[in-house]
Amino acid sequence: MMNKKGQDEMVGFAIISIIIGVIILIVIGFMVNTTDKTNVQDYEIESFIQTSLQYTTECQDSFGFASITDLVISCNREEKCLNEKDSCEILNSTLSGLVENGWNVGEQSSVKGYEFDIKTGEQSTLNFKEGNQTANYKSAFQTFARNGEDYTITLSLYS
Amino acid sequence: MYGMLKTKQKLKIKNKHGQLKIQQMIFMILAVMFLFILVALFFLSISLNKMKKEATNLAEKNSMLLVSKLANSPEFSCENAFGSNKPNCIDFDKIMALKKDIAKYSDFWGIAKIEIRKVYPNQGNVSCNTENYPNCGDLKILDKKVKVLPYSYTFVSLCRKEFSETGPYNKCELARLMVSSQDRT
Repeated sequence: MMNKKGQDEMVGFAIISIIIGVIILIVIGFMVNTTDKTNVQDYEIESFIQTSLQYTTECQDSFGFASITDLVISCNREEKCLNEKDSCEILNSTLSGLVENGWNVGEQSSVKGYEFDIKTGEQSTLNFKEGNQTANYKSAFQTFARNGEDYTITLSLYS
Repeated sequence: MYGMLKTKQKLKIKNKHGQLKIQQMIFMILAVMFLFILVALFFLSISLNKMKKEATNLAEKNSMLLVSKLANSPEFSCENAFGSNKPNCIDFDKIMALKKDIAKYSDFWGIAKIEIRKVYPNQGNVSCNTENYPNCGDLKILDKKVKVLPYSYTFVSLCRKEFSETGPYNKCELARLMVSSQDRT
């Protein structure tokens, strides 16, 4: 009777060890297959700012159509375009369009919100944000100087 | 006589007892062996997965490096055609010409796919050809029919010459240069 009990215990032990082993394998397999990729990389934001500054806007100046870089300077000087459009307004709408199309900002997306900031020296020239500002964010900036003024363009993406 | 029978019975019981103990031990050894096999399998699967991941990561890193190198290569870059040397600037006219002769370059970069997708203004997935240029949103420069890794990309400035009433001007738009290597795993 006691021996049978001992045998049953052995079989039980074997079954339990098999079950635990299989569960461990499944869990580990799942953990290993889960990708640990972060959605947005720093170099992507840097290249985004760098190339956005070269974008040709609809603001006409005496040299043709102004780029975002030219528009940042015009906006700081509160200048108007040749077609009487406000340089800051065009800058704001163009940058919003660039960010929203470039990063697919939204609740369902990996980018939940963003903040764009343009500074001249220490003073903020233009700042706009959209979506949710969470604690988890990535940020990059680009600087340039023109006519003795330092400009800093910063983009922060919240995920 | 009675004493001998008793001793024989005692021996039989002892033998059975011993057999059961051996059986228990075999069970135990089998269970422990099975557990060891499971543990070995588990470590083997981890190391195999790690190796696979490393191979994929290496290929991805390679294409990431290549994508930024490609954007500034003479075959793609704007150089001084649109003012001073612009980083990550791609000459749209140049790559339209390159697309025609892509057969000569198919093994030049060692990658399977090169694609440029306009980001802003968004022109959808209209594939670029000589008829609809530049009003299109997607240009497949190289498209090998092989199993590929996920795309690596970088933002680029896609520039071309345009004409207005005041004369020619440079028009630069935002695009993504996407590159994908062949999956050899």
